[in-house]
Amino acid sequence: MSEAAGPQSSWAPAATQPVRPARGFSIPYIDIIWRVRGEVPIDRAMTREEAFARIDALLRTPGTTLSAEGPELTYAKQNPAAQDKLATFNRGRLWIERAGAGAVLRFDLFSHALLLCFLAPLLFLGFAQLAVTVNAYEKAAAEASEKDKGKDKKDEDKPKPVKKLNPIDEFLGAPAPEDPSKKKKDKKDEDEGRHSSEPGYFLAALFAVLYLLGRWLEPWLVRRRLRAALANPVSPAAA
Amino acid sequence: MAGVQVGKRIIGATAPVTVGWENIPKVEGGPIKQFVFTYFQPAMLFTAIAFWYYAPNWLAVASTAIAIRLGWTVLLLALEWVNPRHKSWQLTWKEGASDAFYVGLGMTFIGMVDSYIGDGAILGAVRGAFDWEKFSWFTSLPLLLQALLISMIFDFGQYWMHRAMHNWHPLWLTHAPHHYITQLNVQKGAVGNPVELFLIGLGIGGLFDFLPRAFLLAGAIGMTVGVYQHINVRFNTPRWWRFLFNTTEHHSVHHSQDYEATRSNYSGTWIIWDRMFGTCVDGEAEVLGMEGGRRMHIGETMVFPFREGWGDGKAWLAKRFGAQAAGPQQAQLEPAE
Repeated sequence: MSEAAGPQSSWAPAATQPVRPARGFSIPYIDIIWRVRGEVPIDRAMTREEAFARIDALLRTPGTTLSAEGPELTYAKQNPAAQDKLATFNRGRLWIERAGAGAVLRFDLFSHALLLCFLAPLLFLGFAQLAVTVNAYEKAAAEASEKDKGKDKKDEDKPKPVKKLNPIDEFLGAPAPEDPSKKKKDKKDEDEGRHSSEPGYFLAALFAVLYLLGRWLEPWLVRRRLRAALANPVSPAAA
Repeated sequence: MAGVQVGKRIIGATAPVTVGWENIPKVEGGPIKQFVFTYFQPAMLFTAIAFWYYAPNWLAVASTAIAIRLGWTVLLLALEWVNPRHKSWQLTWKEGASDAFYVGLGMTFIGMVDSYIGDGAILGAVRGAFDWEKFSWFTSLPLLLQALLISMIFDFGQYWMHRAMHNWHPLWLTHAPHHYITQLNVQKGAVGNPVELFLIGLGIGGLFDFLPRAFLLAGAIGMTVGVYQHINVRFNTPRWWRFLFNTTEHHSVHHSQDYEATRSNYSGTWIIWDRMFGTCVDGEAEVLGMEGGRRMHIGETMVFPFREGWGDGKAWLAKRFGAQAAGPQQAQLEPAE
């Protein structure tokens, strides 16, 4: 459950305090897969206390633990609700820095969801490969058993009766069913096996696209939400 | 919360549920929007039926059905965007990706397992053991009647399987993860433990001979009716439709946080099964889920039935057989005064 971030006055040390490096799993260049860093400009006159108070409502959601350590605000989410505005990012750090004549709120966020979505194509490629392997194994097994049961095959090749449409459907113009024996002949050569690998390949591609979409969309939404929160003064009643 | 009496039950006593069609909001907006969201559902149903009825044989194949299904899903996602039923059910990127994972699992791994131990394999064995030629006259019935029979037979089986899941604890453990969804979106029907997805897919329709086109027609009915169980779109659903078919409204009641409400509207496509067996509640709910709306993530969804089953099984065994053995031990543990 959510915990208070501690007294808000602790969020207001001097602006020049050093910000410690990112915590946790950090691999340069590769970590952009699951990490999102960025900044949102803020009014230079706005104090750290005021800025953090304005984004407080965005962060203080069920399942979120907040803590203010020195100049930065950190949060961690435990399985956030579907509609949590920061649900994609399990944990993150936010701090304020002076930038030229103004100031910016910087963020460094970590996302399990982005990482898993990035890895998902591998899983589905694995399923596609599994389908190919099982098909090859079953084909080999079937060929071996066919040699043994050469005589039984004759019965299987017995032509099936052609099914007829009901007269009502004939009158309404529905196409007549195909001759099943004809269909069987055409299909024989292109028989891939019991499982198709196509869904696996399709889903691998889908998750690659979903990842790219999320990697672009989610940081954009974070910036937009932070900007919107920072633009709204906290009412005295809420504060 | 007082709740509303429906038959012998009180619905909505522990979480908000709107009971009665007259209390459900209508589509808001101009005349074109009103028109589209009033006639969309029947128009799509009749279009799909006409397509599969008249499509030439080369087009009336499973791959066409898959392509149509894909386009249909994209269209419904667009409708969720244009006219959401509840803002609190809006699809987010994370929810969408999570839903896609479950759909993907169904299309790949579960599908592969199903081909060995699913209803097709079981019924194939049953058909091989007996002479079912007597049922071949089914194929001479009018196509639409065959399609209706397939759809209704499958849904009848699904109704009882679903109802059993809500009434027998081992089955409930497989179904419970699906009830942790906190919002309804187009792909939410696929969210759940693979064991449940396998069980709910079992049907007896394969026992009977039907024409392939009849199966495609039945699939079209499922695609254009059953799909509305899980969707975040506000429709002015026609009265005849909501009498015959399951709707988002019905299914949202089934997913409500109110326990008594969840024990209603079990069917997938034909709500008339619920009407016949006394489990139908006409209404809708916005606040969904279990344990106050706790979201269940993918990892927990995969292990939930086994983890809970293991714990509950041990507790049951201890209660059934352990009481006598634990008797003297408990006496020893009593504090000596």
